[in-house]
Amino acid sequence: MRKPSLHIAILEPSRIICEGLQTVLYQSDLDCRIHRIETLEELTELLETVPVDILITNPLQFVNREKEVRKIRKQYPSLSVAGIDYGIIQKQSMLTDLSFTLYDSAEHIVNVLSKLDKQNRSAALQKNEDDNLTKREIEVLTGLVNGQMNKEIADSLNISIHTVVRHRKNITMKTGIRSQSGLTIYAISKKIVAIEDIEI
Amino acid sequence: MKMADLIDDNPNLLLMLQHFNIDFRVSDQTVSQLCTNYGISENLFISIANLYNSLGTKAQHPYTRDDLMQVIDFLKHSHHYYRSDKYPQISSYIRQLQENHSAKELKLLEKFFNEYFTEVMEHLDYEDNIAFPYFITLLKKSGDSGEQELYSSVEYGEHHTDIELKLKDLKHLLLKYVKIENDLDLRRRLFFALYELEFDLYIHSLIEETILIPAGVSIEKEQHA
Repeated sequence: MRKPSLHIAILEPSRIICEGLQTVLYQSDLDCRIHRIETLEELTELLETVPVDILITNPLQFVNREKEVRKIRKQYPSLSVAGIDYGIIQKQSMLTDLSFTLYDSAEHIVNVLSKLDKQNRSAALQKNEDDNLTKREIEVLTGLVNGQMNKEIADSLNISIHTVVRHRKNITMKTGIRSQSGLTIYAISKKIVAIEDIEI
Repeated sequence: MKMADLIDDNPNLLLMLQHFNIDFRVSDQTVSQLCTNYGISENLFISIANLYNSLGTKAQHPYTRDDLMQVIDFLKHSHHYYRSDKYPQISSYIRQLQENHSAKELKLLEKFFNEYFTEVMEHLDYEDNIAFPYFITLLKKSGDSGEQELYSSVEYGEHHTDIELKLKDLKHLLLKYVKIENDLDLRRRLFFALYELEFDLYIHSLIEETILIPAGVSIEKEQHA
């Protein structure tokens, strides 16, 4: 499968810097789409429609807006942020994943960005591997596999039956497996439960 | 249209012919000639062929009682296919797989399949022994009977079980989760058998839901009017 192109947003009011970066990126091997934005508000709007992978930002844009930035990052965990280091702010801000300076070579900048992209992808892959079952869902599944009724699972986890049912629905949606015996085999294949614990 | 050309386009139609109890050597016969020879109405034949060709469920004309009797025969023949051909085949592949590999999941998988198999057999028995005889009596009766029936077409519809859902579970387990090393020939045969079964079961329930049950319901209405 062809990997989709990388969406990069550049948040930098200076047109010269923006166009410079754009040229560097377009001339590199990175298969990317670039979106230029000037304010944090524009970023929020953009994120609603475009799955932005990397944000390149002038860190000054984040000054006094840390709360909003954290909120955006929480809402879009797959977005990574590269800060442009202008030498004014010395320490790497907690709000960026890494930074580069405008004096770095084009090669270095491209390298830094593709590294970010790789990290992103492997994180996404990792997530897919356990079919995204949450900790709670795994607990419910374990109860199910051990033959517990919804009520028993609810009691032992201190949640309502209604919530157990919702978790069960989600488990089925994520795994594509509906029956209890099917889920047992799933749980063993995924090493969520040990086969020794199951009566055959 | 020549039947042989239709089969060339969609070999699944062979399964349909078998369920209609029509021989595969169709010579140069057109659909119309074939239907006349076997005493099947073209309307019914084409409706079901359309299901096999994924062309929707809309019939041109209402079905006659004769048509519906043939639908029941058709469904009975497909039961035979599940009972003595497809399920035993899948069962033997799974058994083989379990013997070839030590993974304990496969023991569970075999158990899962055997339980499922038992369930399917029960459902088929139920249709053969209760549902179909009911429809046959219904179809043979003239319109003036006021007798109370203990059973109805709607009840039959509600009795549909999760046969298809468990089959999907099995497929998903093999495609996504259970680790088996190599043995690709056997596993491919198993997959093909599962997909063939899934396809025919799907058509089977479409026929029940779009042809048999609505027809049964309207005859019941007529009788109680």
